[in-house]
Amino acid sequence: MKDESTEGRELGMPPQEAAAAARTRIDALVEVAEKKHFTGPWTLFYKEILRFWNIAGQTIVSPVITTMLYFLVFGYSLGDRLQEIQGIPYVDFLVPGLVMLALISNAYINSAFSLFIAKVHGTIVDLLVTPLTYTQFLTAYVSAAVVRAMLIGLIIWVVSLLMGATAWFNIPLALLFMFLTALTFAFIGVVIAIIGEDFDHINLLPNFLITPLTFLGGVFYSIEMLPEPWDTISLFNPVLYMVNGVRYGMVGVSDVPVWHGLVLLVAMNLFFGGLALWLLKTGKKLRE
Amino acid sequence: MGSKFGGDFLVRARNVTKKYDELRAVDDVSVEIRPGEIFALLGPNGAGKTTLIGCITGLITGFEGTIEMAGFDVVDDYRVTRRLVGLVPQELNYDAFFSVRQVLEFQAGYFGVKPSPERVESLLEQFSLLDKADANTRWLSGGMKRRLMICKALMHDPVLLFLDEPTAGVDVELRDELWQYVRNLRDQGMTIVLTTHYLEEAERLADRVGIINRGRLLRVDARESLMDEFGRRHLDVTLKHGDARTWAQKFGELNVEAVDDSMLRLHYATGDSNVNQLLQVLVGQGAEISDIETGRSSLEEIFRTLLREDAEEVSEGGAR
Repeated sequence: MKDESTEGRELGMPPQEAAAAARTRIDALVEVAEKKHFTGPWTLFYKEILRFWNIAGQTIVSPVITTMLYFLVFGYSLGDRLQEIQGIPYVDFLVPGLVMLALISNAYINSAFSLFIAKVHGTIVDLLVTPLTYTQFLTAYVSAAVVRAMLIGLIIWVVSLLMGATAWFNIPLALLFMFLTALTFAFIGVVIAIIGEDFDHINLLPNFLITPLTFLGGVFYSIEMLPEPWDTISLFNPVLYMVNGVRYGMVGVSDVPVWHGLVLLVAMNLFFGGLALWLLKTGKKLRE
Repeated sequence: MGSKFGGDFLVRARNVTKKYDELRAVDDVSVEIRPGEIFALLGPNGAGKTTLIGCITGLITGFEGTIEMAGFDVVDDYRVTRRLVGLVPQELNYDAFFSVRQVLEFQAGYFGVKPSPERVESLLEQFSLLDKADANTRWLSGGMKRRLMICKALMHDPVLLFLDEPTAGVDVELRDELWQYVRNLRDQGMTIVLTTHYLEEAERLADRVGIINRGRLLRVDARESLMDEFGRRHLDVTLKHGDARTWAQKFGELNVEAVDDSMLRLHYATGDSNVNQLLQVLVGQGAEISDIETGRSSLEEIFRTLLREDAEEVSEGGAR
């Protein structure tokens, strides 16, 4: 057997030139490594944006079209029979509900799917070995999910307005509720992607919890229209507060006090954001 | 924060244990990696090689013991230590959403390095992937995916490169190129740790070899020392007349046995002159040889030897 690497070294030691070169490189790189920079999280955020943008047909256009179909069917055909709710034309009343319907599911699915597929394809390893801090990692994932959800929500909102709806009562408040809701569900998506072990786990939550809660959360109706005890039971649905917060911002009516929704959203963000960060910091399920 | 690097070792692992329920995947391992060396971690599948490098690279947390890299703790100062390391994992991976070029640019970016097109193209060229630069990574063959993973690990120009079973499933030509590439990297000042279960790989590349089994690092030594001690070879000589058992009696001073009626086996260490002596005697005394074959002790045999020694030590109450 040819010993290519034996020459110029002591037994069990690297060649002296290589060792000297290594020390020089280590010193230089340690200096670089100690510096703070934002290229890392920015790159991850940018990559996550590109991920959905490259397939915008599926990730942006498709949910917008689906939601606009609801708008046409419920708003214009059935809306003629419903006329007004709380003094608001049904078409206008529907806009915030539909915005939230799409926003919630897309915020969740973007972060959950993207992170989970990285786990399945093994590319998560490429991220876990980087110097990205846990906060940077989380921020990049949820920011991209929030961007996608807000983008879809805004498109639906604007298209509805172009189609004749009147829904601009308090735009900053509507945007705030949309943002906080998207953030909550982006955090939930990260949590589920970390603890989920197969695609069923990822789909379980939207199928059995998020979608039902959204549909029952006043997307299409006011809880005043529900008989007892369903109107009271509805008050335990957190999505109701989110939808009504946006509804107040868009058309000026709400089934529940708006500040209840704000408090709830801040609390949910703290809880799920904290949980996601804790999972990342402890490495549970990801670094085991 | 740790002190600036000035010590003898780039990595110092002290009493590292990683448990999964009852299983000790890494069991009280202490090891040092020197700057500029090629260190091979040799062991069978499931020995704990990947878990150990996972602990060092930060891929695995929640282990007992301490690991320092260039004086920084890999848990507390992970931002610094992970910047120093490149890892080529064993499992092939690919990002179905992006092209080869994009994947490399992102990987550099995560480490805070602004990727230059020159860097990307020079690496792709070295690994014969330049024509695939704009292809989606999902369409690469297994060997190409492996090469892309090596490029990814090098994009941020680390000082310590971990290659986890780099030649698993790789054809011979690429394997030889890869070995040469590893040597070149080291000559330029890269420290390299590779895991393998091929004895030959360790023998061809490494300055030092660590032998690991069932989570325990049984021995760390210079490659030559380990090979001299354990890398026994044998020469099988098939005789025409089926009189091997008679011949076997004539080599008292050599370690010769008759495997069956027609085959003699000489056990020898690499570099000694016993082969010459055996053949001279056989030919000189008129034996008719129909075939000659050489072989070497397999990794399994080396492990068995080490494990036997290890078990004896434990039963004698020796400290581990």
